[in-house]
Amino acid sequence: MNSAVISGPLAAGGGAESFFHERSGETLPCQARAAHLFCWDWATEHINRFGTPALQQFELVVISVVIGFAIAFAFALLAHRYRPLQWPFLAGTGVLFAIPSIAFFLLLLPITGRGRETAIIALSAYTLQIIYRNVMQGLNNVPESAKDSARGMGLTRRQILWKVELPLAIPEIIGGIRIATVSTVAIATLAVFAHAGGLGTQIYTAGNETFPTAIIIAGGIAILMALGIDAVLLTVQRLTTPWRRAQKEAVA
Amino acid sequence: MPAAVASDKSRGGASSVSFQGATKRYGHSSTPAVDHLDLEVEAGEICVLVGPSGCGKTTSMRMVNRMVELTEGDILIGGESVKKRDAAKLRREIGYVIQQIGLFPHRTISQNIGTVPALLGWDKDRIRARTIELLDLIGPDPELADRFPVQLSGGQQQRVGVARALAVDPPVMLMDEPFGAVDPINRERLQNEFLRLQAEIKKTILFVTHDIDEAIKMGDRIAIMKQHGRVEQYATPAEILMTPANEFVEDFVGADRALKRLSLMRVGDIDLWRAPNAHPGQPTAEVRAELADPQVEVPYALLVDADERPLGWLSQRDLAGDTIPDRADAPLGPVLDTGDVMRAALADLLQGESMYPPAADRSGGIAGFLSIEIISEFLASPMAKIDEQGAAERPLGPDRASEIAADE
Repeated sequence: MNSAVISGPLAAGGGAESFFHERSGETLPCQARAAHLFCWDWATEHINRFGTPALQQFELVVISVVIGFAIAFAFALLAHRYRPLQWPFLAGTGVLFAIPSIAFFLLLLPITGRGRETAIIALSAYTLQIIYRNVMQGLNNVPESAKDSARGMGLTRRQILWKVELPLAIPEIIGGIRIATVSTVAIATLAVFAHAGGLGTQIYTAGNETFPTAIIIAGGIAILMALGIDAVLLTVQRLTTPWRRAQKEAVA
Repeated sequence: MPAAVASDKSRGGASSVSFQGATKRYGHSSTPAVDHLDLEVEAGEICVLVGPSGCGKTTSMRMVNRMVELTEGDILIGGESVKKRDAAKLRREIGYVIQQIGLFPHRTISQNIGTVPALLGWDKDRIRARTIELLDLIGPDPELADRFPVQLSGGQQQRVGVARALAVDPPVMLMDEPFGAVDPINRERLQNEFLRLQAEIKKTILFVTHDIDEAIKMGDRIAIMKQHGRVEQYATPAEILMTPANEFVEDFVGADRALKRLSLMRVGDIDLWRAPNAHPGQPTAEVRAELADPQVEVPYALLVDADERPLGWLSQRDLAGDTIPDRADAPLGPVLDTGDVMRAALADLLQGESMYPPAADRSGGIAGFLSIEIISEFLASPMAKIDEQGAAERPLGPDRASEIAADE
């Protein structure tokens, strides 16, 4: 009854079987009916099995975004200080961003082996472009007059960066982290191909093509996770930029 | 307010600024942006650098706080070379105001004003006290201290810009077109208030503008610059208006600018003269005594009726008797309105027979009397300073007036 769904390159890659977890347990009534989208009975009975994958997924996302942010932020500060670096950085992160995601995981496997590290490397790499671009944009949007007056008042270059430019770039920086997080939540479902767990384990399961309840549950958890993290970041953004609200009120 | 000013004085003081062959050359370009500029700015004076765009006035100013580094030559502040100082530390001791104001959008008004004090390590209470002191002195209302710049009008923001530059009471201030982005009415007000403030705090100020009217109004001395920071004339506004050094200065000052300024002013905006009022039947001795009073500028007495409405001017013959007659010898002539634009009032004055046309305020009462002297004094307003020094008395008065008459 249950068999591997995906054929072709993946299956041929060897060990494809192991990507897919055989579903155990007896057949529920709604499972038997064809084209039944969601089976409540099955969902209530099996909801526990999503706990660990969800946690794994969350950890992957948070660790990857934190690492990605640290690298992209450092790149952006370097490129901000030494302008000629901005194009190589943009191109480099762009190339990483353009690699098809499943291919990325599979390409890394021979180098870094199976497991979380591989997934985190790939996921972090995807966030670089988004975060780097946003930090750069935020720094570039700082009004020239604010920088000029800061310099004229005797702030050092470092003080201008940390007291004027970065605070003013917060909306764009957090904006970048938000986009990166949401997309990482989605891509992290593919971490299963690196044997890093996550919600992907519940999605890429044999039999799901005819019985999609697990896909819907896993997808739903991923969406809620993305929205939840986004809401937290939005709150942080609001709290750190009270002047933005003043600006909106002044315009309105 | 005066208390705040007094404490300013005790802290601050002013330093002279001396440009000594100051030169700025950018990159490999052979023609310098500023070529061997020599200029002495005395402590406590406003020196206006004025000239067409690209003349090097802003570059010259920015070399003082090393926003632009000197290629050659030197600039001394209070006798000390700016080159020997750490650039950031030097800048903290020099007030800096720019046209775009450059307030930090993410910081409140009080945080903006407290920027340099915080850099210098003042404690919070001292910063707060200084902020309130400056807002009291310069505006806007200290109640706005915790607002963000975006919540303030352009004029209010520029006040904060000036307050921020004065926060640590620097001996020297650099102002680059500080009122350039403000609408004309607010600009006039900010200029006037700044001059009043400067009379109290007496800073050494380098003030850059492209507007000769503003230069004449604000400057104790004006340096008129041509290309490459070449100073064509460095003199008081009066000297520049009276004796332009060359054709460039003459063209730059322009002949009609004073008249244009007249259009911005209304009769009620200026200090009008007073004349003795005489009622029919009043003893002439009283009126003659009033005429002798040096406080009363108009040398004629005005006959008014019981409701204080003007009837006409009294002649010597009218005043020869014991009591004031009920008819005046000389006709009243045109009556101006305090709301009249000065330029229109001048035309009335020149066409009418009366030398001292009365100006009626909204209620119909006489607010005062206009005279050609008032207008010429107004046109030469910075020259009032010469009077104070006793150097000359209103040198442009009659000349200027006849020139205007010829123009009309």
